[in-house]
Amino acid sequence: MDRRTFLKIMGSGVAGAATGNLLTPGRTPASEVPLGKEFYGILVDTTRCIGCRRCELGCAEVNGMPIPDIAESKTEDILKTLRKTSDTQYTVINRYETEKGPVYVPRRCMHCSQPGCVAACLVKAMKKRPTGQVTWDLNCIGCRLCMVSCPFDIPKFEYKKAIPRIQKCNLCWDRFNKGALPGCVEVCPTQALMFGTRKQILEEGKRRIATNPDKYVDHIYGEYEVGGTSHLYLSAVPFEQIGFRKDLGTVPYPEYSTGFLYAVPFIFVLWPIVMLGMNRATKKHEEEKHEEKHEEHGKH
Amino acid sequence: MNRKLLYFLVSIAYLILISYGLYSVYTVEATLRVKEPPKIKLENKIAIAHTEIFGKLERPQVIFNHGKHEEAYKKEGCAECHPEKDGQVMFAFPKNLKKKDKTAVMNAYHDACIDCHKKSAKKEKTGPVNCGDCHKKQEKTLVVKYPKAEFDFYVHDKHVKKLKEKIGKDDCGLCHHSYDPYEEDETLRLVYEPGTEESCYYCHELGKKRGPELTKITKAAADKGLSIKEASHQQCLNCHLKYREDYLKKGEKDACPTECIKCHTGEYRTLVQLEKVPRPDRDQPKRPLINIKDAKLKGVPFDHDYHQIASKTCRSCHHETLKACKDCHDLTGKPEGNYVNVARAYHDVFSEHSCEGCHNVKKAEKDCNGCHHYIAVVEADSLGPKDKSCGICHSGEIKGAFSRAPLSVAGLDPQKVPNKVKVEVLSKEYEPSEFPHMDIIKKLVDISNKSKLANYFHKDMQTMCEGCHHRSPAEAEVKKDTPPNCRNCHTITPEPRNLDKTTLLSAYHRQCMGCHDKMGIEKGSSVRFKDGDRCGACHKKKVAGPAEITRLKNDNVVKQNTKNILNVWRPK
Amino acid sequence: MAGEKLELVDVVKQKEEGPQIKSLGDFWTFLKGQLKPRGNIATPFNIISLPIMILGYIFIVYRLATGLGRPVTNLNQQFPWGLWIGFDVVTGVAFAGGAYVLCFIVYILRAEKYHAIIRATVLNGFLAYLFYAGAIVLDIGRWWNIYNPMIGNDFGVNAVMFLVAWHFFLYMIAELIEFSPAVAEWLGMKRLRKILGGMTIGAVVFGICLSTLHQSGLAALMIMAKNKIHPLWYTEFIPILYFISSVFAGLSMVIFEGSISHKVFGSQLDEAHHKQYDDILVGLSRICAVAMFGYFFLKIILLVHEHAVPYLFTPMGTWYLIEVIGFVVVPCLMFVSGAQKRNTSTIKFAAVLAMLGIIINRLNYTFIAYNWYVPLSEKYWPAPMEYIVTASIILTEIWAFRWIVNRMPVLREAPAWARAMEKH
Repeated sequence: MDRRTFLKIMGSGVAGAATGNLLTPGRTPASEVPLGKEFYGILVDTTRCIGCRRCELGCAEVNGMPIPDIAESKTEDILKTLRKTSDTQYTVINRYETEKGPVYVPRRCMHCSQPGCVAACLVKAMKKRPTGQVTWDLNCIGCRLCMVSCPFDIPKFEYKKAIPRIQKCNLCWDRFNKGALPGCVEVCPTQALMFGTRKQILEEGKRRIATNPDKYVDHIYGEYEVGGTSHLYLSAVPFEQIGFRKDLGTVPYPEYSTGFLYAVPFIFVLWPIVMLGMNRATKKHEEEKHEEKHEEHGKH
Repeated sequence: MNRKLLYFLVSIAYLILISYGLYSVYTVEATLRVKEPPKIKLENKIAIAHTEIFGKLERPQVIFNHGKHEEAYKKEGCAECHPEKDGQVMFAFPKNLKKKDKTAVMNAYHDACIDCHKKSAKKEKTGPVNCGDCHKKQEKTLVVKYPKAEFDFYVHDKHVKKLKEKIGKDDCGLCHHSYDPYEEDETLRLVYEPGTEESCYYCHELGKKRGPELTKITKAAADKGLSIKEASHQQCLNCHLKYREDYLKKGEKDACPTECIKCHTGEYRTLVQLEKVPRPDRDQPKRPLINIKDAKLKGVPFDHDYHQIASKTCRSCHHETLKACKDCHDLTGKPEGNYVNVARAYHDVFSEHSCEGCHNVKKAEKDCNGCHHYIAVVEADSLGPKDKSCGICHSGEIKGAFSRAPLSVAGLDPQKVPNKVKVEVLSKEYEPSEFPHMDIIKKLVDISNKSKLANYFHKDMQTMCEGCHHRSPAEAEVKKDTPPNCRNCHTITPEPRNLDKTTLLSAYHRQCMGCHDKMGIEKGSSVRFKDGDRCGACHKKKVAGPAEITRLKNDNVVKQNTKNILNVWRPK
Repeated sequence: MAGEKLELVDVVKQKEEGPQIKSLGDFWTFLKGQLKPRGNIATPFNIISLPIMILGYIFIVYRLATGLGRPVTNLNQQFPWGLWIGFDVVTGVAFAGGAYVLCFIVYILRAEKYHAIIRATVLNGFLAYLFYAGAIVLDIGRWWNIYNPMIGNDFGVNAVMFLVAWHFFLYMIAELIEFSPAVAEWLGMKRLRKILGGMTIGAVVFGICLSTLHQSGLAALMIMAKNKIHPLWYTEFIPILYFISSVFAGLSMVIFEGSISHKVFGSQLDEAHHKQYDDILVGLSRICAVAMFGYFFLKIILLVHEHAVPYLFTPMGTWYLIEVIGFVVVPCLMFVSGAQKRNTSTIKFAAVLAMLGIIINRLNYTFIAYNWYVPLSEKYWPAPMEYIVTASIILTEIWAFRWIVNRMPVLREAPAWARAMEKH
């Protein structure tokens, strides 16, 4: 092998490694996490929820969305079917009939500690803020990979609009920056929603379970599910009965794709070397002579 | 077949496969709905499955109409099918069953049933002989479950009276007996001693954990296969069979029933219905003073007479035997009492048999639970001055213990205890709420006075306030005579560092609605009722409501974040 | 030069030497000449495809004006990706995989046997990526932001989609470089042709790296839908499955499209090429058979590894077996048999089956086995407009291919001066 070929191979290898490293996800070491920034979340106590739907009303009001009609007569009919959040409703109440009577469950974005939607977004339109809120931003290209990657099927796309957005609960990120509570937490008449740092609300959830063992199932949904979420749920009945999936595992979703992403530098380093090697190995005799002639030519 | 035709046919085959595949995929119902197995009308039918012998059944179970067979063999009697022993019918089937393995049992049934059917086929319309006619496919999943037959005090009293009528005196030994496991001669173990009559359940309720003495007896019962089902069928039905003719002749058609559904009615008498029924006489003390030798606290006056009427069975308290509690439970604990000392025996809050435990269960009833759900269960050593807590029961004397004066609102000062309270501090969307304060107190007083238990423990009007005015210490109340307002402790705005502390809005709703929920008062509870407006039960919605219900209206997130879209080097 | 009456000799010389473009004016006249249709306009193919294409363009405008809701697509909140992403982009990219496989075989392994079809395949690959990038622009909701991942608003480096987007972009450039010698020959630019010829091997190596990663990257997009894809299909190794299947998908497409091209553009090829073509088909079918066997084997291993065997006895299991047995095992055996007996019609039929299998497989991951437990009323099935737009994109691509093949040295031999350059 001559100098030129050697340099060619090394060049492509280095270029590959550089590209690969640029593209692999970085990890923030714990020492670099800014002080005083903790994840905030909401503890949802379904034993306190009375299904009045004021959280839906408050949320619509603060986000400028169509105000739902929460008159009791309408609500009775609406609660007969299970609903999902939509592009005009960030949170919905569902009613489940269980052996302990009707249980009302508010569903919204879980604000996972390591969200699949954030890992999926190629323009970082979905961001996990240092204080825990998962928010959507305008540089989104509308590829909808966040919808595919969410284990709870939360992000909703405005299909009907020519200028569509992705709609989901953002834990009232703007209100938080102004020092106010999320809209739903503020208007709940029974304090079924408790806002605080994740540590605070986790402790409170555990305290409630410990002091009322007959009242709660000994599990906080969201403590470990999909690597932990910022919306934690307490329940009087097993969680499968109130619409929560128990098969999501405790591995954070972004971990599933890191395996593939780490392969990138390997491919960019190995493939060129292997292929150039094969190219050289399969060279026929006449062509080699030809090349040598060119080399001599070049040297002169 | 030429190539082109082959390709054409293969293509068609593939097309069909794809269509079929897509169809089955699109119509897959992922959720399995488990249907509850249908229950059939009982009508004296029995399900013959013997899964304990056969395991998973090859053929469907047989639903056997016992009533029909009983009707058909009225003249011949039970011994036609059932074995007899010492003049008593043993309600086992089949008659001659030596081994209890699969083939023997199957053959025994087939021999007994099919042979009999074949024999009577000559004379009359009879049962089936073909396999599928008894082992019906559509009856595979049916469930036959008879409700427990309750031999309550009313029935017991009736039996006592009828027996006295028949033979002229009380002879409890006709039904009652006891078992002496220490008697050497097996045949002499079953004895009757007057004054030791107890419930059948003590010895024949197999499967329940008992003390060491009783376990010897239950083991013997289990060895003989005498579960409560077998024992009661044997005891009761044989007696009924013996005397049925006599009563029929007298014209009492319903006497001495032998049909399943006549005893297993599923209808149970309530405490109220059993109140006037005299309890069996076992020389029990009426109103003793319970004194424990060497105990530190004074004795407790105990109204046994009243407690008899307050339970459906003696076994609620006398869980092992019909003796006094302190006979097995002493100060330090002894083996007869499973080393449970007398303090725990009387005070265990979570037991069903102790005084405190039973009282705790009563507090969970609808009428009491509104307040008592929120009042923590008290541990014996946690409350303050001993005379205020322990002294309620441990008075040491019977005088005045069994009659407490009822509570009354008469002595309340309307200035300090308002008639109606206007709750208006938070009214924004709803009109102020007129809270019927005095009505509620009156209602609670009524409930308390009706219940002897409540009346005993609610010794003054102060206890009526504690349900809602829950955290004010008694001393403060005594000084000021008025319990504080809710808003004295519950703030309107949430505490930023203590976000779980109950705010005023949630205090009102959780306290009021919670109480209504627990007491089963539909109006004002969280239960939705038809055509009802839950909120309107307490406060009407304002005709012209506020423009917004949240403080600090948010600017749309999208607008907020509208920056230069081409902000390429966005600072991190 | 245009407009003058030319002697026959001049015409031949012109063809050999290529157009002498020395100024912009020359280029403009040259291009105008090239734009004239070659051959009959009113062919059955044209008559059928033109209305569909025009209808498709109208629908595209409608989609841009009103968004992605009904009646444009049947997409809903449970099924964000449908026919456009599932078929146009994901399946289309798998079919375009023939380019990198063939480049690997011809340029890296130097198997000269396949040299005849390399240009057509690379052209197909380039057009495929170009048009399917267009389909992406059409499908994403906020298409005006499409340059955001390119310019850094923002670089979402933790996203697989970021990798896929960049690879698309870079791969298009690589393929353009690979194909550009033909363009240089068409334009008669000798110096340019020399430079581009030298860049080929670099572009090929780069292209193969990129292909490996984005073929498997398309699978990695679905890797975070772990609990929403049926266990028979989902495994953490779907990137490898996609990569291997792209090998035989691409080559099956080469066989399919090559056979059609040979019929339609047969006049450009000489006798030797026609004979060679059978050899090529047999060779390709051998490669496909091996790849499919490996793919099938891997599928079995993963089925056992994921403990998914009990699911084979459910309705979804039936569909899985149809896909694997009917569209992987059967074509694999047909490829083997066709290669052994040198029966080109078997090979072609097997190629069609393999392609159908790939379509089914990719669509399974996109909306059939994805969120499979959702009730029928909420399930997704492509809307009529989606079909028409897809058809019009594919037909436009075919028209572009035809235009290029009729004018540039893709199927026919390169001009003599270019051939001479290659020898040196």
